[in-house]
Amino acid sequence: MGLFDHLLRDIRSVIDRDGGQNAIPPLDGALSPNDRLDTATPIGEPLPGIDDVIADGRGAVYVSAGRNVWKLSGSDFTTLTLVAEFEDEAGGLALHPDGRLLVCVAGRGLAAIDPAKPAPRWLEVADGRALTGLLSVAVAPDGRIYAVEGSTGRRPDQWRHDVMEKRANGRLVTCGAGLDNPQVLLRDLPYPYGVAVSADGKSLWLTESWTHRLSRFALGGNGLGPREIVAGNMPGYPARLHPDGHGGFLLGIFARRTHLIEFVLKEDDFRAEMMATMPLDYWVAPALVGGSDCLEPMQIGGVKALGIQKPWAPPRSYGLLVHLDAEGDASDSLHSRAGGRFHGITAACATPGGIVIAARGAGRLLLHTGDLR
Amino acid sequence: MSMAVDSFAASVRRFSPRLLLSELLLKQWFEPVVPFTVMIGLWAYFALTIPDYASVQNSVSLLRLFAEFGFVALAMGFCLVTGGIDLSVGAIFALCNFAALYFLLVREWPVGLAVPATLLVGALLGSINGFLIGFLKTRPFLTTLVTLIILRASVNLLNTSYAQVFATNSIDSDAWDFIGGGSVLGIPVNAATLFVVLLICHIFLSRSRYGWHLTAIGASRKAARHAGIRVRLMLFMTYVLSGTLCAASGIFYASRQASTDSTTGVGWEFQALTAVVLGGVSLAGGKGTVWRAMIGALIIFLLTNGLVRMGIPGYVTSAVTGLILLAAVGIDVKWSKNRGKAIQKIYVNPAFVPLASAPSVQPGAASPYAQNDRLIHAQAIGLDQVEGPEDVILDRQGRVYGSTRDGNVMRFSGPNFETREVFAHIGGRPLGMQFDRDENLIVAVAGMGVYGVAPDGRIFKVTDETNRTWYKLNDDSRLRMADDLDIAPDGKIYFSDCTTRYEMTTNTLDILEGRPNGRVVCYDPATKTTRTVINHFYFPNGICVSHDGKSILIASTSLCKIFRHWIDGPNKGRTEILMDELPGNPDNINRASDGTYWLALVGIRTPTFDLAARKPGFRLRMVKQVPTDEWLAPALNHGCVLKFNEQGEALESWWDPTGISHSTLTSMREHQGYLYLGGLENNRIGRIKLDGVDESWTGYDAYWGAKSRVTR
Repeated sequence: MGLFDHLLRDIRSVIDRDGGQNAIPPLDGALSPNDRLDTATPIGEPLPGIDDVIADGRGAVYVSAGRNVWKLSGSDFTTLTLVAEFEDEAGGLALHPDGRLLVCVAGRGLAAIDPAKPAPRWLEVADGRALTGLLSVAVAPDGRIYAVEGSTGRRPDQWRHDVMEKRANGRLVTCGAGLDNPQVLLRDLPYPYGVAVSADGKSLWLTESWTHRLSRFALGGNGLGPREIVAGNMPGYPARLHPDGHGGFLLGIFARRTHLIEFVLKEDDFRAEMMATMPLDYWVAPALVGGSDCLEPMQIGGVKALGIQKPWAPPRSYGLLVHLDAEGDASDSLHSRAGGRFHGITAACATPGGIVIAARGAGRLLLHTGDLR
Repeated sequence: MSMAVDSFAASVRRFSPRLLLSELLLKQWFEPVVPFTVMIGLWAYFALTIPDYASVQNSVSLLRLFAEFGFVALAMGFCLVTGGIDLSVGAIFALCNFAALYFLLVREWPVGLAVPATLLVGALLGSINGFLIGFLKTRPFLTTLVTLIILRASVNLLNTSYAQVFATNSIDSDAWDFIGGGSVLGIPVNAATLFVVLLICHIFLSRSRYGWHLTAIGASRKAARHAGIRVRLMLFMTYVLSGTLCAASGIFYASRQASTDSTTGVGWEFQALTAVVLGGVSLAGGKGTVWRAMIGALIIFLLTNGLVRMGIPGYVTSAVTGLILLAAVGIDVKWSKNRGKAIQKIYVNPAFVPLASAPSVQPGAASPYAQNDRLIHAQAIGLDQVEGPEDVILDRQGRVYGSTRDGNVMRFSGPNFETREVFAHIGGRPLGMQFDRDENLIVAVAGMGVYGVAPDGRIFKVTDETNRTWYKLNDDSRLRMADDLDIAPDGKIYFSDCTTRYEMTTNTLDILEGRPNGRVVCYDPATKTTRTVINHFYFPNGICVSHDGKSILIASTSLCKIFRHWIDGPNKGRTEILMDELPGNPDNINRASDGTYWLALVGIRTPTFDLAARKPGFRLRMVKQVPTDEWLAPALNHGCVLKFNEQGEALESWWDPTGISHSTLTSMREHQGYLYLGGLENNRIGRIKLDGVDESWTGYDAYWGAKSRVTR
């Protein structure tokens, strides 16, 4: 990349303000930083690779962690039951109105587990391409299934390659209740991570991580309506969103955007060499967890002063759970800032006992019993 | 590993045009460079296009024509420097022209009387302006505009009355003819006089107290008044001077032309103003030299004269002058406002940093650098009572000293070091420390130099400057950031001045710049002189005199290497690389009891930072586009202390991989079986027990006592 390219890009960034280089918005308003996420109670033992959590509506939760799907029930979720074990990582979960559990399995596709039958049914291909990178699944009240694949043909654990390569290769897939007749509704999406259908079944919500975007589509008789961008420039990378039970949503933000990452995303030459020569964990890239390895990138503001890590330091990883109201506007948030414990929030769901949060970075399931409106 | 370092240093000391430009822009004398170039360019252009333009004869006649305008421009320049303006210069000039002719032709005074009388007239006219502006505090612009109108009207009135007398009479005086057409050493007398006056005015303005007062008034009238400068009188005198200079101009004009009419000096005020602003005298006041005024005057003169010679009509010339004035004023306003920003934008000039590969620090690896947790449980001394002890040292009584960011040297004593006292408040940012033979604590203080503290707490200065590098634009004689020091057996103090381009608060920029901006300096107490030993060194940090006293070890923080510089013996004066591949950024080096050395790593090299080191363009854009807090840095939150031997082989390492107890670890001292740890940003001094070491060994004894290994 020569001097001229940089100059051109700088000029473009002035002329075309709505281009791909939107400034990172500050955390304020409903997103004002706090330490409330750090005060959440961890549930049980650590669950390495914890990914999604959904409520079953009767006080229990289903959790995907590593290759397993667990059911946690009882008071304080102390009873742990293994629901299913797969040959690969289990990710997004959803409960079908008919009682089946839908699981996104990395490298394979969508599994539907009927409690009555031992062998799951699979949806493995859509539009001629294997569903290797499914991240989230949601079910409309009429039983129709919607799922998102972050990057076509790419496993979910390669998400950092995807962001640093600036890919927009994801798909929104739908199929009938019987996992039949799969159809690709949208393609070339910049890492669609979360999908949800509103309780009335009239709209579909979609998060796209690499463009920090939350969109809404009308769901009607003849498929998907036009896109309406609800939040276009979020301060972090959105993950899954689940209903909060009152018409709103709980949105996990799995990492925060930093100026350094945005800068490296502009530096093609540096980024290419970084990706070619360094282990994944040492990249300047979003991270679910960080701060303990001395070979990770470090930023000046992160230097401990008088033994204290400033919470407002540029974070290597961050914990953020946002509550969205029925219109999709952020109304409240829980934070775990730089130096905090529970980073990399990928999902959260509402239960009668409180909000259960999956902190993938920390490998913990958390229970937040306070307010979140 | 050991190799000659000279070729290495030469290979990396690259020329950078940006660097040169940023340092040039900082220089006062560089500012008129653009007008100067324009002036030379104009002359060259006319010399090429107009026949015989560059000939001696033409140059002499041009000079004769120019001199009078030069005086007027100088007068205008003085007024601008004080923050004012004198629009009446052209009118005063015209009136003095008339006065000279009147005294000689009508009054028939001798030349010896007429000349001073005319000068007096100029001074009197100037004093009207001066009185109004200086004492009555009227606005210079309006005041001189009014005098311009009145004087111009008077001149016209007088001209009509005396035109006939002037036309019919002539002056028969050799002296008068000499003033009008004579030469001194081939130079027209008016130009020679102008040059002498310029020299005097330059010395007056730039070297004398009153000249400084003028500039101070122009820069800030209020501040000048608060500083006790007699603002009113100085302003009054400025306009008197302006009037006198115009009178001188008028005399030369009168002697050359011997006529006066209504167009004499018309529009000169605007030509002079254009010229002076174009030359770089600021309209806002407080900035300018007589030479800048002259450069501008020459440009305008050459332009007007040249355009006339090329046959271009006068109104076009006026329009061109007007446009130039517009541009010059615009540039003047923008430049004086944004100069600092412009320099700031180009001051940081990252270069390729020739880093060696980084050895593995993986826990459990067989390397001596493998991470462990031997520092995590270090005993804390003065926890939360000490702010950033960059260096720690112990005296013979076993008291521990820390140099802290509040400018203090703190001392902890007692059985568990619970007695805390401020041993000395030096100010600045005290960094490296060492005891000399007389138990004075010698301290390197960033921002100040090298200071000493006697055992009774008395502070004395050791040195704060070294010899200046003759070819450097940045004056590097002052010590910018003395970082660490050590004392050789002969009492010479060797210390590092880690950057000559940045300060303590901005030294991260030096690491990001990755240029050899630092130096190693030696103070000789015998002759009380300070000399730079190694110039152009990559962020020299820790300094340690070797056990045998024959060499100094130098840690280069930005290169991640340890160097050895011989100060005695057959290799004296040579610099070698002692440790080439370090896993982090080395800080202080100190002696260990077993004849080896301790080394603190303030930061651990990360793959991304190493990659950035190879990409100067990346770092440059990062510094410009990313906020300071978000810049990439080495891993500074992980403490590591190393031990290495005389051959530069790493032996062992002590880590706090979490940084909970010891992050930004910059220093360590061994004392009677314990190792004491200091950190640049830490809130404590650490202490760990060492196994299997000489428990009677102290630093003082190793330097000045029985434990010394110096071989004679």
